[in-house]
Amino acid sequence: MTFSKIFNASLIYSTFRTATPIIYAALCAAITQQADILNIGTEGIMLFGAFMAVAVSYLTGSWALGVLVAMFGGLCIAMVMAVSHLKFRSDICAIGMGVNMFAVAITKFLLNAWLKQSGTFADPKIIPIPKVHIKAIEKIGFLNDTFNDWTITEWFVIILIIVLWFVFYKTVWGLRIRAVGRMAQAAQTAGINVDSMKYQAIAISGLVGGLAGAHLSLGYSAMFVENMTNARGFMGVAAMYFGGAHPIITALGCFFFGFADSVGARLQAYGVPSQLVLLMPYVATIAVLAISMATKSAMEKKRKSSLITAA
Amino acid sequence: MDSEYIVSMEGIKKAFGTVQAVRNGEFNLKKGEIHSLIGENGAGKSTMMKLLYGMYAIDGGSIVIEGKKYTSITPKMAIEAGIGMVHQEFMLVKELTVLENIILGFEPTKGLTIDFATARKTVQKYIDQYNMDIQLDKKIGQISVGEAQRVEIIKILTRGANIIILDEPTAVLTPQEARRLFEILNNLKADGKSIVFISHKLNEIMEISDRVSVMRQGTYMGTVNKADTNENELARMMIGRDVFLNIEKKKSTVGEAVLQVEDLWTSGEKEISKIRGLSFDVKAGEIVGVAGIDGNGQSELIEAITGLRKVEKGKVILDGKDITNLSVRKIREAGLTHIPEDRNTRGLNRKFSIGDNLIEVSLDKEPFSRHGFLKKNAVKKFSEELIEKFDIRPAKAELPTSYLSGGNAQKVVVAREVTLGGKLLVASQPTRGVDIGAIESIRSILQDVKEKGLGVLLVSAELEEIMSLSDRIIVMHNGKITGRLNAEDANEEELGMLMMSGKEGGEA
Amino acid sequence: MSEKTKAALNILLSMILALGAGAVVVALQGESPVEAYAALIRGAFNGKLKFGTTLAGVTPLLLTSLAFIVAAKAGAFHCGIEGCVFLGGIVAAYIGINWTFLPGPLQLVACFIGAIIVAALWSMIPGVLRIYFNVSEVCCTILMNSVALYITNYLVSGVMSAGTSLPQSADVVPQVKLSQFMKPSSANTGLFIAIIVTILVMILVYRTTFGFKLRQIGTNPANAEFAGTDPKKMFISAMMLAGSIGGTAGAIEVLGVHGFFLNNFASGLGTNGMLAALICKNNMFVAPVISFFIAILKSGAMGMQQATNVPKSLVDTITAVFIIFACMNIIGDVKKKREIREGRA
Repeated sequence: MTFSKIFNASLIYSTFRTATPIIYAALCAAITQQADILNIGTEGIMLFGAFMAVAVSYLTGSWALGVLVAMFGGLCIAMVMAVSHLKFRSDICAIGMGVNMFAVAITKFLLNAWLKQSGTFADPKIIPIPKVHIKAIEKIGFLNDTFNDWTITEWFVIILIIVLWFVFYKTVWGLRIRAVGRMAQAAQTAGINVDSMKYQAIAISGLVGGLAGAHLSLGYSAMFVENMTNARGFMGVAAMYFGGAHPIITALGCFFFGFADSVGARLQAYGVPSQLVLLMPYVATIAVLAISMATKSAMEKKRKSSLITAA
Repeated sequence: MDSEYIVSMEGIKKAFGTVQAVRNGEFNLKKGEIHSLIGENGAGKSTMMKLLYGMYAIDGGSIVIEGKKYTSITPKMAIEAGIGMVHQEFMLVKELTVLENIILGFEPTKGLTIDFATARKTVQKYIDQYNMDIQLDKKIGQISVGEAQRVEIIKILTRGANIIILDEPTAVLTPQEARRLFEILNNLKADGKSIVFISHKLNEIMEISDRVSVMRQGTYMGTVNKADTNENELARMMIGRDVFLNIEKKKSTVGEAVLQVEDLWTSGEKEISKIRGLSFDVKAGEIVGVAGIDGNGQSELIEAITGLRKVEKGKVILDGKDITNLSVRKIREAGLTHIPEDRNTRGLNRKFSIGDNLIEVSLDKEPFSRHGFLKKNAVKKFSEELIEKFDIRPAKAELPTSYLSGGNAQKVVVAREVTLGGKLLVASQPTRGVDIGAIESIRSILQDVKEKGLGVLLVSAELEEIMSLSDRIIVMHNGKITGRLNAEDANEEELGMLMMSGKEGGEA
Repeated sequence: MSEKTKAALNILLSMILALGAGAVVVALQGESPVEAYAALIRGAFNGKLKFGTTLAGVTPLLLTSLAFIVAAKAGAFHCGIEGCVFLGGIVAAYIGINWTFLPGPLQLVACFIGAIIVAALWSMIPGVLRIYFNVSEVCCTILMNSVALYITNYLVSGVMSAGTSLPQSADVVPQVKLSQFMKPSSANTGLFIAIIVTILVMILVYRTTFGFKLRQIGTNPANAEFAGTDPKKMFISAMMLAGSIGGTAGAIEVLGVHGFFLNNFASGLGTNGMLAALICKNNMFVAPVISFFIAILKSGAMGMQQATNVPKSLVDTITAVFIIFACMNIIGDVKKKREIREGRA
């Protein structure tokens, strides 16, 4: 049956696998969103991280160093945004797009001028992020198909989701960042340095965004391709809207896109044109975003209606 | 320093862009007193206190708190020095709970997490001590304005404030609630706290203060002991001349109903501001005042009538024509004019020029445009006429309205709407945040409009304004009408009761 | 200093900083920055071919930056102009190949009208989603660009394929081709169409009631609604207008430059237009100058690469740095950082 070949156990893992880079991107956007900053630059931060990870892994042979440098690179790009937005009062969308264009251009330029490559850069000397192989479940078909051989960063994303949830809703920093994002004046009059909190949020977002890129180029694949993020950063931002910057709901949103992607990839084997398969995750993202936002505004309308009494 | 003052501010200067908000500010506070700071809108009294609290940086002058001199001060430093401020617009995050708001910035921790149990205990102690009624687990968005104000007071007390600044605290309260606030303030004073009370309501000031400082146009005018002064003297110090705001109410012939609202239902931002089954009418040649505490559905009512909010049930009839849920444009064409409550977002486009703002409601009509093309000369000529007639300053049609003071900006709105004529003028908070001169002229314009035979629906949070202008008064509470009175029969006490109660009043 | 002078100085300073940063990078590569920039200028201006290529490069940028600005005037951040260029291009190609039953000039007009209608409808989607469901138009338009790219790719690889190894359409019939000048460059009369469209849009925005309403909702939608302008209708109209300008750009590229639909031809055209718009902070009158500057950089880049071994991708980096600096208000008061903005007392 065609149907059972498309929808089987390994679809769960492939959905998760394709969703992970987007989850990282979505978390990157969620952190700044808590401080009421729309991180349009997620895409650029991620792309720069992806390049740095591959370049460092290739040059040093250490994936760990690659990941660290990628995170540092993400931090640097994020700080450009932070300084521009907070100190020089630039429009966040404008500087975000500026940063995205910069990341596309600089990675292309460095690929040409530094690594003397163009287009795609794949090399056996690029050491990818290792996979976690669990011997104990090797023999158990379903568990083996679903959980074995995840890369470290795939496991880590689950930890990160929980950590961010904890930080946002259980800690002092989280309470303060949410206050800053929802009513900066209230935070300011409580003696909180609003700008400092925003810098911190953008910086952490940069680290996560860099990690997102590193995972994309060293975990999800083992190469760098010009503009390889291919709007994943924006899908992340869309998922962030879907989840209202709540880490867990945001991450769940990413699975829709991952699912559309994975199903599409399988459909290709049955003669569906590749272009239509490639556009599926984008259409799915827009559809999910539209439906979730429509639901939200319908609920808001209902809450305000005089014909309904709130509980 | 062996000063008797715990706060003293001298020679304070502060400018915002081109506007000199404070020219020469002076203020000092004794321990354990209630000190009122009074002045007109824009006199710089709130700015002075925000400078003390570190919300803005001072451009010049000195601030001394308990003997320590500050050349620059941040809210954090002010809090550490024992200052707390209840702002006119509450500094509360409406998505967070009451408890979260109170502890924000001073959160007790246990390991990595916030220690809510300890926080609750500490806060409860203060609530009990001052016998306040506060629910800690509700979200700010769900509580009433009065409760939110008590949350603000508890918040600054838990931060250890000895000096408490209240910026126009009674503006959002009924007379009865205000009295309750005064009790709390007197208790605080008895505990040795020093209180700064910002207001422009002279009767309250005479009731609560020990001393009064007056500001006018950014300048300190002097300080007097309450015992040595009276309302008239304070008014003269505030304004610089005698003022008679109690203009004589003009009687005009009352005609047919121009506005009929029948069993109106409309959505609301909060549960208490939803309009549920409201009926009343406004006749030609009369002013109907709508009294009520802010947020009890007045804004929603006005929006529903003027086409800015969807009517969910019921009818709105203007001059015999059903205008329910018509577009704003159609409603305006039917003869409705509107001075909205918020001139900065609704009333004016602050990026556009005075001229463009004056014609924006007649844009598609000749002579301002023809075949879709703007006629700049006609716009200029028309706006120069209006600027002169309504004494708008500065008198430059091409100047963006962001350069105008509150009073002059409001005059632009009033000029535009009144010039349109029509059948009904809806005026919502027409004198909010404007200076005395503008208040006088706007109020007399409303009288003129009524004399011309239009119906006027007036919404105001100022009871004094409602009583001095209206022929009939409607009181709103929780989105319902709780009282209908003739203006002659109304007194402040009774209106206050109706504003709080839920009882349906009789027909007027 | 007046606001206008400040803005002009800001752009100038950003340009100098960006070119300076570029010079440092060139120097680090062991090349002479002077020589590199000289080669770049020669590459953009020296000779009919080179200057013609620059002019052909300005054409789409004029329109895409204009499209972005029109949307921005209504308060939208429209990243989806590129998608409109793609779709406008494919429609123009389709009509230009197939509708030969129409007489020459009519067929040409049909190409443009078709491109405009389809691009406007495409651009309406994010407008509707934004207005009725509060979906961020930034996200939506970016994602839709990819969708538009894949749709056109699908068409020229399949039903509209010319049968060549590269995915591209067949040639449009000669009667709908825009005439070229400064041959062998691809400069064409589309440049004049673009200039006329730019002037018309300027008049529309600043001299008509439609433009007044458009600027009204972009600066204060609540006030616009209050005054009787329907902000929803205007926002969607503005998005459609922006889309139709993008569609026009697509038609010009297909009919003027290529003569057929080349897969992925619009890649970067929308982005660079947006870049020009952002650099001048959506000033319709300065945007053409910035568009011209970017076109010079782009068309001179190849000359620089050949003369000095500096990869032409450096130029993209320079323009990106340019935009980053231009976004910041370098000149102006940075002072009031601690104060929370508030209305006048």
